[in-house]
Amino acid sequence: MADPTLAARLDVDGLGARFGDVTAVADLDLSLEPGSFTALLGPSGCGKSTTLAMVAGLLTPTAGDVRLDGASLLGVPAERRPVSLVFQKPLLFPHLSVEQNVAYGLLARGRPRVRRRTGALTGAASRQEVVTQVEEMLERVRLGGLGRRRVGELSGGQEQRVALARALVLRPRLLLLDEPFSQLDADLRAEMRTLVRELHDEADLTTLFVTHDQDEAVELADTIVLMLDGRLAGAGAPEAFYTSPPSVAAARFFGATNEVAGTVVHGHFRGPGPLEPALRLPTTAPEGPAVLVVRPEAVGLGGDVPALVTATRFAGSDVLVDTTLPDGQCLRVRVPLGTRVAVGDRVLLALDTERCTVFAQEALR
Amino acid sequence: MSQSVVPTGPTTRQHAVRRGVPERLRPLLLLSPALVVVGVFFVGGVAQAVLQSLGRQPFLGETDWSVEAYRATFADPAFRASLTLTLRVVVLSTGLATVLGVAVALLVRRHARGPLTTLLQSTLAVPHLVGALCIGLLLSPSGFVSRLGAGAGLVDGPQDFWVLTNDAFGWGIIAEYTWKEAPFVAVVALAAMTPHVRDLEAAARVLGAGRWRRLTTVTLPLIAPPVAAASVLVASFAAASYEVPRLLGQSFPATLPVVALQRYQDTDLLVRPQAMAVATIIAVLSLTLVAAYLTLVSRLSRRSL
Amino acid sequence: MRGRTSLPGLSGLGSPRGLRATTTVVVVAAVLLPLVPLLVWSVAGTWRYPDVVPGRFTRRGLDLVLDGEVVAATATSLLIAVTVAVLACAIGLSAGRAIGLYRFRGRRLVQFLLLAPVIVPGLAVTLGIQVFFVRYGLADTVLGVVLVQLMPTVPYAATLLGAAYANLDVDYERQARTLGSGPWRTFLTVTVPLLRPALVTTALLTFLISWSEYVLTLLIGGGQVTTLPLLLFAAIGSSDRTAAAALGLLVVLPPVVIVLLVARRLRGRDDAWMGLARG
Repeated sequence: MADPTLAARLDVDGLGARFGDVTAVADLDLSLEPGSFTALLGPSGCGKSTTLAMVAGLLTPTAGDVRLDGASLLGVPAERRPVSLVFQKPLLFPHLSVEQNVAYGLLARGRPRVRRRTGALTGAASRQEVVTQVEEMLERVRLGGLGRRRVGELSGGQEQRVALARALVLRPRLLLLDEPFSQLDADLRAEMRTLVRELHDEADLTTLFVTHDQDEAVELADTIVLMLDGRLAGAGAPEAFYTSPPSVAAARFFGATNEVAGTVVHGHFRGPGPLEPALRLPTTAPEGPAVLVVRPEAVGLGGDVPALVTATRFAGSDVLVDTTLPDGQCLRVRVPLGTRVAVGDRVLLALDTERCTVFAQEALR
Repeated sequence: MSQSVVPTGPTTRQHAVRRGVPERLRPLLLLSPALVVVGVFFVGGVAQAVLQSLGRQPFLGETDWSVEAYRATFADPAFRASLTLTLRVVVLSTGLATVLGVAVALLVRRHARGPLTTLLQSTLAVPHLVGALCIGLLLSPSGFVSRLGAGAGLVDGPQDFWVLTNDAFGWGIIAEYTWKEAPFVAVVALAAMTPHVRDLEAAARVLGAGRWRRLTTVTLPLIAPPVAAASVLVASFAAASYEVPRLLGQSFPATLPVVALQRYQDTDLLVRPQAMAVATIIAVLSLTLVAAYLTLVSRLSRRSL
Repeated sequence: MRGRTSLPGLSGLGSPRGLRATTTVVVVAAVLLPLVPLLVWSVAGTWRYPDVVPGRFTRRGLDLVLDGEVVAATATSLLIAVTVAVLACAIGLSAGRAIGLYRFRGRRLVQFLLLAPVIVPGLAVTLGIQVFFVRYGLADTVLGVVLVQLMPTVPYAATLLGAAYANLDVDYERQARTLGSGPWRTFLTVTVPLLRPALVTTALLTFLISWSEYVLTLLIGGGQVTTLPLLLFAAIGSSDRTAAAALGLLVVLPPVVIVLLVARRLRGRDDAWMGLARG
């Protein structure tokens, strides 16, 4: 099935979208390696769906370029792009059966003229070939034998699998997924994630997956691109967002982070007042007011920073401990289950300097 | 008010009401005023038209059952001419209103949707009587179009202009129905073009469907049921309405509703059963279309499940 | 299912801008053109044939509209239309509750019965019962005209209010009842306020149907109950085009104003437009 030349490289350069006075996307740069699985992550309204619509050709960008293997897509209408998009809603055509839905794109794109223009797209040579491809595809999304069903008779998860089949049967060079599971139940969502990752690996695709759920992004993607307020807020491997987030905002989006205000002097971050010797880390951040970001799991007990335990909370596999430092600074610490800490205890904290990141104070804005 | 203090109060009262009118009979009770109106005036009216067409004459004590009125009606070449005219008006008005209405809706949804929709909606409010007056002032031999033609040197005088009103073909009637009903079809079609339809079109687009293919395989199939239902309404109305053909048509051949009233107002009371026969034929024609409408609507609602 | 609004700015079917603008102009012109001679004739004193503009303008049309006969007919029309609207809403509220909130046997038959009179124009039906109106002294009376106009308006009101009831969350009523409010008090203080938008729309649209009605008024009113459409019909039959146009404007203005008032609420409700296409 896999065609080594199929997966495409996607480059997005300085992409922008404005609706009147509202800027939805500004100056966005992205690069997707052939065969990669990238999650475009961000809160709702951050412009990620708009970005996807521009890559798919449903929306004309007001600035920048979208290139597939180096060739600009801007002049190419959506229906001629070798790109498939799966929407948040299944958007199955209600007047067609399951197999007619899956065959829709093959029949629409199957005309020889279109086939030449879109290059790698395999067109449908004969009706029989269409039927075979549709059946195969339905098998692969585990809907074998349901081809004759009416769309209205399917469950939510089945509908979204038909939508996936309908997109993948075209053997797109780039697959775009716009929060396709956000309307499904939690266990169904997990099942669909596995299926999508499998289909991606089997089909040799480049996949761009939009989501607002950081767990989903971390679990699925090779690379995460974080978007905040229509702008790129960092890109990298999922682990990087935990160990060395690209910005304070990125760290905050991934949740449960500690922020400590301080100063950078002579290439070292210095913590506030009495903690100065303890919180002293080498950094490349510019001189001046700065903030140190560290996740609770990078703080442990048994160091040299004195703190008072103010609250403890059971969190499933471990315990979250809220502490207050002598100058009033709060630090949240994640400790293993069974650690003996109680409210009112005085403890000594240790920071894993490898997992501390320092930002200049301006970066907060 | 004391009941609000006692927790069981309202429940007790609810039971009391239930005991008064059994739950099963409530819908019937609620419906009864409306059913009386529809039953007396509509069902009664249709039944009386049928009975009187078969020879019954209320309050005259004469009941001479026969199908003579129908035989005479169908034997009358004037009636057959009326039937032909009526069917022609119905088919042409409905066809034109549907095609133009859908075309306008497709145009309006993309361009200046708000103001144009309001314009279409306000045309809907124009009574057909006024519509007939407008079309008369517009298309009559000395009407506005004829004047414009004369101004441009294309028309020599009223006698030189086409006969478009009170004509044998029914152009004036068709023009009025089309002018009034195309906006109706357009408004229905616009209502059917929901954001969901737009999303489905986008889905078709990323699957490789071009503009024409999207229109024929997605948009039109999706708006077809409500549009078809609207067309049925237009047809039923065109078949049975009186004032427009009376004002814009000829008195012979006239459309069926005009013939019915002509015969009803005939001084010869023996013609009255024929008037009722024509009225019955109109009612049967319209009710057939209503049944078609209901079938369409139920098919539509089954699909949206 | 949690619906999200469609993607921003999806434009697919857009044709070239210039062509679109042209077709828009054509549509607007086609819709408005028939109204132009109506407006011009209403103020035309003399308008000889080939002229595109009247030779002389007059305020005769305005005088005619303020004339005693027309004022009386306007009052009759208003009286009948308001009475019909109030009665249709009252009966429709009751029937709408049954249609919107209950599932019962014969519901489809009821729907058919309530739909048929809206779609089948009244002429064919009224011919059969006219003799009964005469017999019971209702012919040639305002009461008779009001009664016969309930035929097209009640089913329409029941259908519209039935849809409103179907969207009503009856838990509000249950909540009121558990707070100690009796059935009538609940209806007046909870149900009616919740249904108010639909009630206002229904009242305006049934008013409009009655206001525009011609043939039922003619058959039952027998020319004794003179409403505006009857005067208009007579004026169209005469050769006085100025009078006909002035009366036509008087008849057309209230419906257009009403529709502009309720248009926003009706957007996307094709069943509501159904009754309007009848006028």
